[in-house]
Amino acid sequence: MQDLLYFSQQLINGLTIGSAYALIAIGYTMVYGIIGMINFAHGEIYMIGAYTALIAITGMTALGLAWLPLILLVALICAMIVSSSMGWAVERVAYRPVRGRHRLIPLISAIGMSIFLQNYVHLAQGSRNVGFPALIEGGFTFGSGEAFQMSLSYMQITIFITTLICMTVLSMFISRSRTGRACRAVSQDLGMASLLGIDTNRIISVTFVIGAALAAVAGLLLGMYYGSVDPLFGFIAGLKAFTAAVLGGIGSIPGAMLGGLILGVSESMTSSYLSGEYKDVVSFGLLILILLFKPTGLLGKPEVEKI
Amino acid sequence: MTTSLKKLVTAIGASVALMGAGHAAAEIQIGIAGPVTGPVAQYGDMQFSGALMAIDRINEQGGVLGEKLVPVEYDDVCDPKQAVTVANRLVNDGVRYVVGHLCSSSTQPASDIYEDEGILMITPASTSPEVTARGYELIFRTIGLDSMQGPVAANYLADQNPERVAIVHDKQQYGEGIATAVRDTLKDKGVEIAMFEGVTAGDKDFSSLITKLKQADVEYVYFGGYHPELGLILRQARQANLDATFMGPEGVGNNDINTIAGDASEGLLVTLPPSFDEKEENQELVKAFEAKNEDPSGPFVLTSYAAVQLIAEGIEAADSKDPFDVAEALRSGTFETPIGTVEYDEAGDMKSFEFVVYEWHSDGSKTPAK
Amino acid sequence: MVKNNLGHAAFCAIVTVIISFPILGLNLEARGVNITLTGASTSTYVAILVAAATVFVFQTFRDSLMGLLRKAPKLNPISRKQPMERSRRVKLESWIITGIVIFALFWPFFVSRGSVDLATLVLIYIMLALGLNVVVGLAGLLDLGYVAFYAVGAYTFALLSEYMNISFWMALPIGALLAGITGMILGFPVLRLRGDYLAIVTLGFGEIIRILLNNWTSLTGGPNGIGGIPDPTLFGMEFGRRVKVEGNTSFHETFGIAYSGEHKVIFLYLIALVLAVITALIIRRFMRMPVGRAWEALREDEIAARSLGLSRTAVKLSAFTIGAFFAGFAGTVFASKQGFISPESFVFLESAIILAIVVLGGMGSQLGVILAAIAVTILPELAREFSEYRMLIFGAAMVLMMVWRPQGLLPMRRTHIKLNRQE
Repeated sequence: MQDLLYFSQQLINGLTIGSAYALIAIGYTMVYGIIGMINFAHGEIYMIGAYTALIAITGMTALGLAWLPLILLVALICAMIVSSSMGWAVERVAYRPVRGRHRLIPLISAIGMSIFLQNYVHLAQGSRNVGFPALIEGGFTFGSGEAFQMSLSYMQITIFITTLICMTVLSMFISRSRTGRACRAVSQDLGMASLLGIDTNRIISVTFVIGAALAAVAGLLLGMYYGSVDPLFGFIAGLKAFTAAVLGGIGSIPGAMLGGLILGVSESMTSSYLSGEYKDVVSFGLLILILLFKPTGLLGKPEVEKI
Repeated sequence: MTTSLKKLVTAIGASVALMGAGHAAAEIQIGIAGPVTGPVAQYGDMQFSGALMAIDRINEQGGVLGEKLVPVEYDDVCDPKQAVTVANRLVNDGVRYVVGHLCSSSTQPASDIYEDEGILMITPASTSPEVTARGYELIFRTIGLDSMQGPVAANYLADQNPERVAIVHDKQQYGEGIATAVRDTLKDKGVEIAMFEGVTAGDKDFSSLITKLKQADVEYVYFGGYHPELGLILRQARQANLDATFMGPEGVGNNDINTIAGDASEGLLVTLPPSFDEKEENQELVKAFEAKNEDPSGPFVLTSYAAVQLIAEGIEAADSKDPFDVAEALRSGTFETPIGTVEYDEAGDMKSFEFVVYEWHSDGSKTPAK
Repeated sequence: MVKNNLGHAAFCAIVTVIISFPILGLNLEARGVNITLTGASTSTYVAILVAAATVFVFQTFRDSLMGLLRKAPKLNPISRKQPMERSRRVKLESWIITGIVIFALFWPFFVSRGSVDLATLVLIYIMLALGLNVVVGLAGLLDLGYVAFYAVGAYTFALLSEYMNISFWMALPIGALLAGITGMILGFPVLRLRGDYLAIVTLGFGEIIRILLNNWTSLTGGPNGIGGIPDPTLFGMEFGRRVKVEGNTSFHETFGIAYSGEHKVIFLYLIALVLAVITALIIRRFMRMPVGRAWEALREDEIAARSLGLSRTAVKLSAFTIGAFFAGFAGTVFASKQGFISPESFVFLESAIILAIVVLGGMGSQLGVILAAIAVTILPELAREFSEYRMLIFGAAMVLMMVWRPQGLLPMRRTHIKLNRQE
């Protein structure tokens, strides 16, 4: 019983982190699906989302607003607006001019953008870790007395539910709406789609904006869950999310969800049964293994090399 | 045209040379090397404000051997590579006394150069035992060692008769060093150590670690590292209902931990050098800092102040500006500084440097622990 | 035309304000135990508005501005000239490089110690960048974990000297070879991956090696690093004040001159210089050999190259191994210069800086890479007040280079044969 509770607790920990990875991974997966490049700066957009949310929350608290749902809603909207604008601007400035060139060029441009954004926030907001207020506290406890008690916090539940909602809405949007159909068409064949009258530039912008908005949601949620933000924390989270996207099959939205969950759980299991020191080794190792043996990921479609 | 140009160049050259000469005659350069930029720049601020204050005050009182002290500032970003570059520039600039560096990993490679080049170095912040363990003549410090601080924490923990203690560290030189010292002392005292584990510095998610701590049912958790990680651990532990008392070294004892951990920082135990800024004899100095709108309470402000003062008093005691003579004088003398009475042993460590266990409160204040 | 642009321009200006105002204009500051929000200085707000206005004006008159720009005479004075003839160009480049080397040989005797030390660092970066240039510039494989091989070289020397008292000269080939072998072992499985996947996997490898170095405390000292790495000796003569290894003599005593720390610094510099020249020459040789052609062929068109019978794995592996080999070379020199190494010298940022050098220098061109290495290392030293902005400028420069001049400052021009059309 003890061990089971312990295992379930670690599972919950892993699933929570995993769902957040999935939210960030969407941005990678959609961009990769459409223009076939790794948007290295996506982790930074998530970080900027977290910062904006914190700025909004601090500002509202200073103004004396105290009604929690309002604070959360405003923070979320601010974060989404700033992050999506950032996503849009990054695409315009750094990716559109180099689209269609040799594969390495957009990638290097993206790395440059990532370094730039990291240092932009670093210079503007300083390098120290800033505490993020815990707005949603408390939770359920299972197990009793002296023995190990499993806890499931409201924050963790919020993360699960928000992720599920975002994923469902996004899937519906992609499969039902006009823009969603256009997105799918562009990802199938960009040239053909533009011949058929789809404004591909607009669709690519939309993709970046959606990815960035979801990253902002993740930024707010994880900022509250972890408890602090700093200018560097986007980079490693971005790498993890990219790993999740690859794991699940890049280009596939359910794949991003699955990949995120697997990655989160395997990290938490490594920390709990092996040692936290090797957490990152395991996630990078997993990435390498997947790429070597199943480069298209778990749910990805096999890719045919075009000549 | 050409002749007048030549004359001009010669004139400028001569005046520069003269200026240089005048420079050397009446001034003693004190290099201050530490992080002005980079992730730990806030500790660098403490170092610079303490050292600059000391230089100002010594100059007000007439300087050393009738000469003024002149600060020369260097930024090493706490990067070992930059530290070596800085050390070489210092040699170049003819600086013979250095207050710095801050991070042990910078101090170590830089001190090799200083020892070779006959430059006296006093670090106000590097606590790694390695720094003074190499038989160097010119390397001193105004702070205690990990191997002093660790046992203080461990003794305190052992006195509480805990059943089980967990030790966590951040896999960095400072954190792991202190955590190892704590572990070794606790082992000698026969306390059961349930866990000894590293986390990744810069990580944000500690839920697995906390679950593990819960499972291990520990009463005390010692964390070797800095405040960003411990702050998050405290807060996430509170969320997960982990019922244990946390303890950390002086690297966690600053107000940032309160902004991160909030109420969860109440009751944290911290080993700190005694708060020099609260000592009665330092009140006048504290006022001087406050007059400049600077905060003297950071852990490295007054140690840096003391480092400059020791250099000055060493020069006076030796009545010589040769760093080797000054080192000799520092080893043989006794000095009164804001951080207490300083006496040096052969290695260049202070014979006694006290650490006190404090209890930290959620409003950022601290009281001596019972 | 202008009217059409107005809407778009207004939108762009608003976006500019949105992305700069919260981050730049509202600062989170810790006051005691609380976080408060403070406004930035007025100049920041003015700057944001000016930026937005600039974006607005630029976007409104975008088409006419771009047209003007295109019509305007090129600022670059060389651009109007006919491109230099191939043979002359190659000759000129080798003369320039020879000139630089001769200058570099005598230069340290006239300047200060700090400059020589900095120059040694520049030379280490030149070696690294030349090595990475083979992988990224010539073979077109984006390696984001290059620093791992640098670490292997540095740690090989540190460990060999710590446990087996092996000197610099013995460790130099061993370190480079080990790094090369590591490159081969790591490269073998991953090289069939496509460009961007390869980038991520190498990044992962780089991190894994660093984490292992950091965690394997019993061997590598973990985060404490390894200290006391010996300096290179000259025929058994040491450059320190005191002789550290038994059996060696000291340089200043042998020659009966006064001890000076400069000897050691200059000696290290000269070693680094010689090694950098050797690196450049070997790679130059490789570039002209069939394998060098094969690298470029594969970079330009993988499918065509394979259909011509080039073994993809062998060609890529050779580039990867040679790149890693020279990183190991540089690592050994670095360890010896520092005397102390720890995992924090081998973080991802280091890989990014080396990559930036290669990119700025013009991928493939050796002279370009050398100039870029000098610029990237020395500029922040010259403008120390701006050192905070160093990485910001790096990032921006990488983006701008890719947008405007992806071929780099000094692009490589291949010696190629022009086919005359038969009349």
